[in-house]
Amino acid sequence: MNIIYKHIIRFLVFTLLQALVLNQLNLGFGIHLMIQPLFIMLLPFDLTVIALMGIAFLMGALIDIFSNTYGLYTSSLVLLAYLRPIVFKLYGPREGYDPLKEPTANDMGASWFSLVFGILLGLHTFWFFLLEIFEIGRLGFILQKTILSGIFSFLFALLIQSFILNNKQKK
Amino acid sequence: MVEKSSQNEGTHSLSTETKLGRITTFVFMRNLIAFLQRFRIFLVFAVLQILALFWYVTFLSFPRNQFLTTNNQIAIQLLEWEHSITKHFNLSENNTKLQWENIYWRKRQPQFMYQLSRKSFKINDTLFEQQYTYIPAEIINSSVTRQNNYFTINIGEAQGIKRGMGVFCHEGVVGIIHYASAHYALVKTVLTSDINIDVNIHMKKTDLPGLLIWDGKDPRYGIITGINNDLKVKRWSKVETRGGSGIFPKGLPVGKVSYTEPIEGQALWKVEIRFAADYRRLQRVYVIKNLHLAEQTNLEARIPTDD
Repeated sequence: MNIIYKHIIRFLVFTLLQALVLNQLNLGFGIHLMIQPLFIMLLPFDLTVIALMGIAFLMGALIDIFSNTYGLYTSSLVLLAYLRPIVFKLYGPREGYDPLKEPTANDMGASWFSLVFGILLGLHTFWFFLLEIFEIGRLGFILQKTILSGIFSFLFALLIQSFILNNKQKK
Repeated sequence: MVEKSSQNEGTHSLSTETKLGRITTFVFMRNLIAFLQRFRIFLVFAVLQILALFWYVTFLSFPRNQFLTTNNQIAIQLLEWEHSITKHFNLSENNTKLQWENIYWRKRQPQFMYQLSRKSFKINDTLFEQQYTYIPAEIINSSVTRQNNYFTINIGEAQGIKRGMGVFCHEGVVGIIHYASAHYALVKTVLTSDINIDVNIHMKKTDLPGLLIWDGKDPRYGIITGINNDLKVKRWSKVETRGGSGIFPKGLPVGKVSYTEPIEGQALWKVEIRFAADYRRLQRVYVIKNLHLAEQTNLEARIPTDD
């Protein structure tokens, strides 16, 4: 499959999944599943930062329109897209990334993926809840939501990713 | 000769000064361009962030730029489709509730009643003028997990909905209309941090007035502020609307007191209540229209202000 079509389909599926399914779930304990960071994470290595941020802005705005959150998802996704190359550079191989590979757990190794995606997801989720609650006095609650949502979103992302990639490899 | 040379030096130094100025401006421009190129990524990032945050803050403070929320044609169409599927999930429960409500009103119909006293039975319009009308609506999009939760309902300005009207359901208070478009409206629910509905805690002897807020933790529990701790608040005492601001009629159920705790350093109770309505599976609501609201606001505008 053409790589552009693949990412466009992923974009639509992830946006609708987040806006229409995951945002309506109420799991209790302040857990809020977020799948849209995985999409930004899985975009190809050789995309420039500005293109990344543009895509992130578009996706965040779409999710915001559907769920009445007015810029919350947009802001946190743009932050994630801005941080992605920085974190990639920090934990990348010395000779740079192979443009033929994809930033997935299968191509780059599970340990690299969990480290980089964990950091990015943590920062994204923290920013998200900081903006949403907007009260520095309730830092404990923000951290609780960040940690719980981060862990569950991470596991959910791994689950989804393993499904998609396993199907691809069998074909 | 000496004078001439000095003059020459003077003109020379002047021209070098202007040259130097040109060079410095050139260097400055080049540095600026280099700076912009170097921080291009950060500048794009900053612009996008400012756009997003501007959107966020302006919506929270005042509903002005509504063009990008669910009052949008495509989004509303998708949400309608989603709702046409999900509305069946709690169907039996909702039907039971509607049935109970039907029974409740049917019992009060004159033809099903035995007329005890013939004189006083007639509904007397001169004694009881209707003050509130109710418009039924259906929730088509909702959330309960955020810090500020808004519901979208399927009626709007065409049905006479305006900003500031109250919304309630069969079990209790739901919220206040935040913004109304032509056919849809956004409800600011009691599950927002600054909803501030005036409520009464109903006690045996007195009613304690307070303000209802939400701490964003659990959609089943709310908090009432402004209760002095010189009076004891009993657990499971009823909480009802006060009806002071004319948004809600007096006596709509809100919930029951579930937990009280003194606030340190203040002469106030922290009162936690359990909401009467379950906002997680709410589908049908009523919007309240107060027919006397204009009269009340006109009257209250006459209160003299102390300068």
